[in-house]
Amino acid sequence: MPLRIKVRNAESGATVEMELEGENTIDDIIEGAAGYWEKDAGAYVLRRGRRLLRGQQTVAEAGILNNDELELIPDPEGG
Amino acid sequence: MKGPRILGEEEIKIEERPPPPLERIKPHKWLSAKDLEDYKRLERDGYELYVSKIAEEKMRNHSIRFAEIQKEAMGLLLGWIYRNCGKEYTIVKDVVTTDLESSSVHVRFDRDAFEKLFTSLEEAGFDYLVVGWYHSHPGHGCFMSSTDVYTQRSLFNSSRHTAIVIDPVNKEIKAFYLDGKSIRTREFAIYWDEYENPYYGTRVKKRELRSDPDCVAPTQ
Repeated sequence: MPLRIKVRNAESGATVEMELEGENTIDDIIEGAAGYWEKDAGAYVLRRGRRLLRGQQTVAEAGILNNDELELIPDPEGG
Repeated sequence: MKGPRILGEEEIKIEERPPPPLERIKPHKWLSAKDLEDYKRLERDGYELYVSKIAEEKMRNHSIRFAEIQKEAMGLLLGWIYRNCGKEYTIVKDVVTTDLESSSVHVRFDRDAFEKLFTSLEEAGFDYLVVGWYHSHPGHGCFMSSTDVYTQRSLFNSSRHTAIVIDPVNKEIKAFYLDGKSIRTREFAIYWDEYENPYYGTRVKKRELRSDPDCVAPTQ
């Protein structure tokens, strides 16, 4: 059964509602949200509270639940 | 297997709110003479960026501490966007950082230290937007390197977003933003909230000196 979650863009405050399958990965979520906001998916990390969600983990493995709110955080690099 | 499906989006509403008043703003003490001129020119009309005294101190101290070990410092700017008389401005209320992978010419967050960063975000104590980022160039001056420009384009590509660059060795600071394809400098003011005034909530009375007959002035 599909899950519904919210992903907040920390830079703009905008939130998307997303429908997921248990086999979708964290990378799929990041790519879906970053793609929607026309951002570079590789430059973001995803958090659930204090926990970093790792890219290759599936939604089920990451313990993501229906109605969870995740946040897309920029991961800058300076030189 | 299907990919994630976006069902809808909700955007924030930008609130109308006056910026910090003139009596509670100051230029940064590390502005160059030219930047100070620009600051004064904009004082009446208001700025696009206001940085809290607390955030400024944290960024400056972080940069100084890392300069002592010849490394760059970095963090995220937390704040919000407001509108006043049809003009948008940004408030940087606080900054957050974590352990870094850093050298004298490169910096990023330590791959194993995101949870420390997220703890700071959870404990920010206010609704925030990541309105930009800061990092230091110890001894190299304040400019946007090619890596910095890449970061600005891929992450902070709205003109609302700011990159603050600090050189703690030469005591310089500059703010930049992306205007289309060009990087431009942004004048900013340091502000403090009324409760950050050291004499907030107290009245300081001038005390008269009492002459005490038992008190003898020290002799040499």
